[in-house]
Amino acid sequence: MEQKSPRKVALVANCLLNQNAKVCEGARYPGVVSPVVEALRSRGYTLQQLPCPELAFAGARRWWAVYEQYDTPVYRAHCRRLAQAIAPLIEGYIRNGDEVILIGLDGSPSSGVRFTSTQRDWGGRPNHPEDDWEIVPRRGIWIEELEAELARRGLPPIPATGWALDMGRFDEAGSRRDLDEFLDGRR
Amino acid sequence: MNPDVRGWRIALTPDALMNPSRTTLPDVLSVFESSGYGVLQLPGQGDHSLLLAVIADQVEEYSHHGYAVVAIGLQGEPGHGLHWRRLAPLLRHRGIALPPRHIIKADVDAVAETHRLATWLDNYDLPVEEQRRWR
Repeated sequence: MEQKSPRKVALVANCLLNQNAKVCEGARYPGVVSPVVEALRSRGYTLQQLPCPELAFAGARRWWAVYEQYDTPVYRAHCRRLAQAIAPLIEGYIRNGDEVILIGLDGSPSSGVRFTSTQRDWGGRPNHPEDDWEIVPRRGIWIEELEAELARRGLPPIPATGWALDMGRFDEAGSRRDLDEFLDGRR
Repeated sequence: MNPDVRGWRIALTPDALMNPSRTTLPDVLSVFESSGYGVLQLPGQGDHSLLLAVIADQVEEYSHHGYAVVAIGLQGEPGHGLHWRRLAPLLRHRGIALPPRHIIKADVDAVAETHRLATWLDNYDLPVEEQRRWR
């Protein structure tokens, strides 16, 4: 691979650049989540969008789901395929000496970094009109599999945080403060 | 009330436009934001067969469910940065009509190119009957 000057690269959850990937009722922006893009670009980060694991697996009209429902061998295999698709790019950044960070989606069963959603009772006929899931400090399935693939390649852990879009009640200002603190703490 | 404000329109976008090395190119992310488009980022040059197949899977899913997908290329990049020789067969294999393409001209007035892109994006969507079916 051609050696380039080190850059700052942000791996960004798919839906932070494309809210059409969100589950029904989950899109808070028409397309691009502009506060995330602005925070990263103003600090000189190059953007690298990650694939959306849920869209191609469960579809655009998928039901809402929690960690336990996606924690299946077939979904994990699907996530590993996606990880193997994007890992060569990430490996190239790291081997080049680029500063790489990951911005996931906190609360998501797949893309959560600091938090994911859990509810052991969910399953069967969808009949949970109330928001009765819980948030727990844990990676989502996709982030777990992506990090495992990078570790298999002998790559170091990537500093990561999440944009708190799927935490129940979305607080854009609080999410922005969180992200700013994470990014500024790296200087 | 449904709080969902998705735009139902998505732009396949080369890395060279997402992360431009020149200031003379339009800021496509700002245009996408104001036009309500989401992004599917295409990788830079190189062999990205598996990643392109993953992206084709996503385009297929969107195309079957009422989303408008376009492709924005960049003049001067191999294949306009769209990996079209690889991506087009992947889409055809999935029975997907190739997305309409708009090519950004390099080294011309960026303001004019920005306006040309915004106008093209704003004027594109699926036929009304398709929109009514899904949205």
